[in-house]
Amino acid sequence: MIFVMLRVMALSLWRDKAGLVLAFVLPPVVFIVFASVFGAGASGKLDVRAGVVDQCASAQSRRLTVALGHQLGGRLTAYRDKAALLEAVSSGRVDAGLILTGDLGMTPAPATVLIHPGRRAAGEVLSAQVDAVAAQALPDVMMEREIVRLAPLLALSNTQLIRISHTRTAIPPAPFVTSQVLSGGDPIVVYYAGAVSILFLMFSAMQGAMSLIDERRSGMRLRLGLSVGGVAPLLGGRMLWLIGLGVAQALVLFAVAAVVYRVPLIASLLPWLVTAICAAAASGGIALLLAAACQTREQAQTISTFVILILAAVGGSMAPRFLMPAALQAIGWLTPHAWVIEAYQAVLWRRVVDLRVLEAWLVLAGFGAAGFIGALAIERRRKL
Amino acid sequence: MQADGSVVLRVSRASRRYGGVAALDDVSLEISSGEVYALVGRNGAGKSTFAKAAIGALALDEGSVRVLDGDPTRDHAARRVIGVAPQEIALYPHMTVEENLHAFATLAGVREGRAEAVREAMDAAACTGRADQRIDHLSGGWRRRANIAAAIVHKPRLLVLDEPTEGLDAETRGVLRRLIETLRTRRTAILLISHDAEDVASLADRVGVLHAGRLAVEGAPAVLMQQAFGARQELTVRLGAHAPLAAPILNGHGLSSQDGLSFSGLIDDAPAQALQIDQALRAAGIDVRELAVRPPGIDALIDWAGRTR
Repeated sequence: MIFVMLRVMALSLWRDKAGLVLAFVLPPVVFIVFASVFGAGASGKLDVRAGVVDQCASAQSRRLTVALGHQLGGRLTAYRDKAALLEAVSSGRVDAGLILTGDLGMTPAPATVLIHPGRRAAGEVLSAQVDAVAAQALPDVMMEREIVRLAPLLALSNTQLIRISHTRTAIPPAPFVTSQVLSGGDPIVVYYAGAVSILFLMFSAMQGAMSLIDERRSGMRLRLGLSVGGVAPLLGGRMLWLIGLGVAQALVLFAVAAVVYRVPLIASLLPWLVTAICAAAASGGIALLLAAACQTREQAQTISTFVILILAAVGGSMAPRFLMPAALQAIGWLTPHAWVIEAYQAVLWRRVVDLRVLEAWLVLAGFGAAGFIGALAIERRRKL
Repeated sequence: MQADGSVVLRVSRASRRYGGVAALDDVSLEISSGEVYALVGRNGAGKSTFAKAAIGALALDEGSVRVLDGDPTRDHAARRVIGVAPQEIALYPHMTVEENLHAFATLAGVREGRAEAVREAMDAAACTGRADQRIDHLSGGWRRRANIAAAIVHKPRLLVLDEPTEGLDAETRGVLRRLIETLRTRRTAILLISHDAEDVASLADRVGVLHAGRLAVEGAPAVLMQQAFGARQELTVRLGAHAPLAAPILNGHGLSSQDGLSFSGLIDDAPAQALQIDQALRAAGIDVRELAVRPPGIDALIDWAGRTR
């Protein structure tokens, strides 16, 4: 009975090319888009396009602009004057602008960053990169600026200042901060792998579960009602299929994440598998419950789209949960999405299976069981 | 009639209400092995409700249903001897005819000789030639054959057929009628829900007319027709154009019209009267498009049963 339903569902999907694309191609594509946008931003690799006006035209300013151009990967455009640069920033041709004015060593603030109000992040990134490039490419100039700034405090004579300026190239700047990037996957990439996975899991599960409604509409329900074992094996087979489909769908998506973003799927395969099964069970149970509760396909389409999108928005599939207000984050725990994301982040990013992960697995399995039992009750009652 | 007297379906005093409306009201009937029982009635008369109750898909408010002495709402054994071919095509559209039949044979509990059972069902429904084709690639007639093949793949003792020949071409109707005859000889009890007068007249051993949830009349088709209409037959006249002189002539022969163009009525000695009407209309210069004498149809029987009740 159960295997017959599994075969029926599998054949139906296999011969439905659009369904296959929706289940296995679209989720990785959407994931890559999300991960490219949010994952790159979190790792400091924002691709800022900048414009520059070099009003000093000195050897030092040329060194700075050349080094900055390298840092930005060639996305630095030179403009002839400030007006042209302002226009480029305002129109969005560049994300931020840089104006170099006066002697870089002697002028108090020789560089000005022009920031569009709608692209504050790009302006901040450019400011930080100019600081970093100046420290690395112009250590002599930076030293000179410090000496000029400290000269009054140290009561240096003009003779001493001239002597120091002649030897400045030999002294590298003393670093204050050193950075250490820890090992482990990108949390945002793992976040969106989980978030996109559960979003599409819900859509696919709903699509599969709606065959319940088709069967009712076509009169097949009468025929299936005569089958050995009644309704339970029919729904059970469907639930197993939705779990299998969900795991396969998650596997494709996380395999892409592993290849493209080095998410440690293989190293955490077992806990990942348990998470994927629980996530698929949760989405399958909810989908079966919705399909059982709806009378028509049209009704199910409308209600499920509403439910899936609301759950996704509140649960963190659309925007990161850590950006949400505290109240919304708390409400998010009522959705399977938040638990799925939490579990995947734990097993793939933090690489732990702790009580929090076990709790997530239990909650997700609970969603699945509750949905399945609810669907079974409705289907049995419908018979009366 | 092939009935051997052993009752396969026994429905006793079945009642079912939806809200305040009685869909079934104290209906009792039996169908024996090898018997074809035609159930007819207007839309909403309770035919579908009765069919669902008969296969155990619907619980009754009162009364009982027994299939080979088992309660199909509770006993798997009773359900396993029932086959149903709904009016809609109750098959998986992405699967082939053979795949569907294999699936339904398994679901019906056929464990041994499944391939043989599938082949036999396809042969009986004359759809072996389309075994490898997907249901959604078949025409309506082939789908209907496959739909019935799926209902008989597990060799049911009770078969419920809902409008099996509706909208089909003459060839497919012939195939399905022959199939029903074959099943009858194999002692299958058949509940036939049909609006087709020819189906009922040629296939049914007994016919029951449901009216507002009640079984208004029941009996052999020929007996019921005789009882309802005697020697009367249905005479239909269709005019080419409105003619003021036509109505008095036709009304005089007991024919009436809704639109002034088509006149009909159940009358005695219809062939002789048809001749007289034809002559009278032609003499009056009236264009007659059609003049037909037919046995009374199912609708007439249903109307009569409703009045009789």
